[in-house]
Amino acid sequence: MKARTSVTMAWRAIRSHKLRSALTTLGVVIGVAAVLTFVILGASLQADVIGDVSPDDRRNVYGWAAPPNSSGGPGAGAQPVFTPRDLRNVENESAVAAAYGFQPIPTQTISAKGETVPRGSGVFATGREYVNAEDVAEGRRFRTGEREAVLNPTAVALFSENVSVGDELRLRVPVVGEVNATVVGITEDSESRSPFEGFNPGPRVYLPTDPYVTDVTQSDRTRFSLIVIEATSEARTGDATRQARAYLNSSASDAADFGNENLEFRLQTSVELLDQFQDLFSTLQNFVVGVAGISLLVGSIGIANIMLVSVTERTREIGIMKAVGAQRRDVLQLFILEAMVLGLVGALLGVVVGLAAGYGVAQFVGLQSLVVPWEWGAIAVVVGIAVGVLAGLYPAYNAAKTDPIDALRYE
Amino acid sequence: MDGEPDTGRVAVELVDVRKTYQLGEPVHALDGVSLAVPRGSFTAVMGPSGSGKSTLMNLVGCLDTPTTGEVFVDGENVAVMTDRERTRIRGRKVGFVFQTFNLMPRLTALENVALPLVFRGIDHDERRTRAAEILDRVGLGDRLEHAPNELSGGQRQRVAIARALVNDPAILLADEPTGNLDSETGANILALFDELHAEGNTIVMVTHERHVAERAERIVHLLDGEIERVEEGPDEDSGGAWATNGDDAVAANGDDGSIANDDGSTTNGDDAEVEGDGE
Repeated sequence: MKARTSVTMAWRAIRSHKLRSALTTLGVVIGVAAVLTFVILGASLQADVIGDVSPDDRRNVYGWAAPPNSSGGPGAGAQPVFTPRDLRNVENESAVAAAYGFQPIPTQTISAKGETVPRGSGVFATGREYVNAEDVAEGRRFRTGEREAVLNPTAVALFSENVSVGDELRLRVPVVGEVNATVVGITEDSESRSPFEGFNPGPRVYLPTDPYVTDVTQSDRTRFSLIVIEATSEARTGDATRQARAYLNSSASDAADFGNENLEFRLQTSVELLDQFQDLFSTLQNFVVGVAGISLLVGSIGIANIMLVSVTERTREIGIMKAVGAQRRDVLQLFILEAMVLGLVGALLGVVVGLAAGYGVAQFVGLQSLVVPWEWGAIAVVVGIAVGVLAGLYPAYNAAKTDPIDALRYE
Repeated sequence: MDGEPDTGRVAVELVDVRKTYQLGEPVHALDGVSLAVPRGSFTAVMGPSGSGKSTLMNLVGCLDTPTTGEVFVDGENVAVMTDRERTRIRGRKVGFVFQTFNLMPRLTALENVALPLVFRGIDHDERRTRAAEILDRVGLGDRLEHAPNELSGGQRQRVAIARALVNDPAILLADEPTGNLDSETGANILALFDELHAEGNTIVMVTHERHVAERAERIVHLLDGEIERVEEGPDEDSGGAWATNGDDAVAANGDDGSIANDDGSTTNGDDAEVEGDGE
C-alpha cells in the first residue's frame, strides 16, 4: 500500500468524525500551546530582566560580604565592611588592576539648567574605572576626588533641555542636603554596566566615591558594602578573586575583623552571577513546562482512547480490508497514520495558539522583549507527532491483528 | 498429500479437509471434505446452519487454514501458508461477495471497487480506470461517485460484485448474495452471476434457497461437516432433471485428489463436460 494512499485514507477517516477528531486533538493543542506559551513567557521575562550582558565588564569581579546562609542576587545580604584601605590593598595584588567601592546614592531630586526632576535611583558612587574610557561618547571619565559626574543618554534625556558636558548638576540627597557635580562625560549607551546596577537599562548618574561617599562618612570611617575588583585581564579574574579573597580573609584586612558577625566574602564575575540567574530561570521554566507537559500526556491518552474506540467501531471495515487483501502492516500503517495526523494537526494548531497566547500574555504583563524560542516550537511539533504515534500504536496493533472472519461477522 | 492438483483445470481444490474447533470439546466443523471446483464452473453450496458452509467458505477464501488436509487455490496450497501469503492470495485470487454487501461506508462506489487494488500497490489512475470499467460492466457506470448509502440494495451488491471481480480472481465466492434483497432485485443479481459465469468466471455460492442453488451447475449439500451429496445440474440431454451424486462417490473423488475420473459414472462424465464448457 502506498504511503500517499494511506495518508488520504487516514485523513478521510479523521474528517468523517469531525467533532470527535477535533475534541481529540484539543488535548494536544492545549498541551503544546501551554508548553509554548510558558516557554515564550519565560524567555521573554529572562530577556527583559537580564538584558544583554555588557561584554566590557568581563574583567570585573563583584564582591560583597554576607552571612553564610543568605541567598539571592548580586549584593544580597551585603554588609558595609570594606574600607578604602582594604580596596587599596586589594588593588596592590598582582592580578588586580583596580579595586573600588560601589554605592547607590539615595537621591530625591536631580536638577540641571534650572529644571528639577524627581529621581530616587540610578545615582551611583563608584570608581573611575567603572565606566570604561571607550564607552564615553562625549567628554571624559570623572576624576577621583573631584565633584564630577558621568551620565548615560537616558539620564541626559530626563531633562527637557538636554544636559551636556560642562553643565552643573545638583542632587538633593536626604540628610546630607544638596550636592553639586559637573557633568564631564556622557556614555555611549544606557545599558547596565554591572550586576550591581540591576540588569535593566535606565537613567544613570555615575559619581566618584571620593568625595561623594567619603565626605559624608568621613574617609576613615567609610565602609563599602559592595566592591568591584577589576582583574588585569579576563583570563586573570580567577587569580584576582583568589588573591582578593586571601587578603580579605587575612588578619591584615579591615573587612575580616569588622564586628563579630561571621561573614562570608562573595566574589563573583558578572558571568557567574548571570549563570545563577539563568539557573533560577531554567529551574522555574522546567517546572512550568513540566506542568504543561502533563496536559500533553492527557492529550495523548485522549488520542489513544479515541483510537481504541475507532478500531472497535471500524472492526467490520478492517475485516473488509483484510478480505480484499490488506496485510497486517497496511492496517497498522493506516491506524498509526491516523493517530499521527491527529497529533500533528494538534501540535501545529497548538503552536499557533501558543504563539498567540505567549504574545498576548507578554503584552498583558508588559514585557518589553518578546523572545520566541523556535526550537521549542519544533520540539512541540515533534512531541505532538510522537504522542500521536505512541498513542496510536496499541490501538493500531489491535486493529492489525483483528481476525477477518470475526471482523466480518461483527455487528 | 494425495496428489498434485490439476492447476490447469481446477480453480480450487479441497483434499480431505478437516477443521476442528476446541470449544471445551472438539467440534468438527468440517470432517474430511474433498471437493474440486473446476475452472469456469458454477457451484452452489447448501446445508443447514452448523453444517460447515461458513467454514468451507472461509477456507476456500483463504481466510482460514484447515486443521488437517490441503486447500489449493489456483494451484497454491493455502494450508501451509503464512498469514501474509494467505492475505496476498486472498487479495489476488479470491473475490468475496457477502450477504450484507460489506462495502466501506465512507468510500464511493468507485473507491470501494478500487480498494483491493490499493493493497496491491497499484497506482491511483490505473485503479480508477480499472474500477470504472468493472462498474460499467455491472451496470453502474453512472454511479461511480455515489457513496454506498446513496445506492439501493441491488446497486450495492453490484458494487460488491465489481469489487470482487476487480483483481480478475480465480474464484468468486458469494455468501448468500441475494439474502438481503427483494426477490426481483435478487433475480437481477442472480442473472448477473449467470452472465459472469457465462463469461468464464468460476463461482462458488453459498445459499439456502433451492431456486437460487439451481442456477448453478451443481449443488454440494453439506451436513454436519461432511458432504452429504452432490447434485449435478441438467445438461441439454437430460431434460432439466437434477441427478444426485452419492456420498461415496464424492468421497472417492476427494481421496483421489482429482475430479470426475474415478468411477466413470455418467454424472461424473457430465461434470467433466461442464469443465470443458467453462474453459
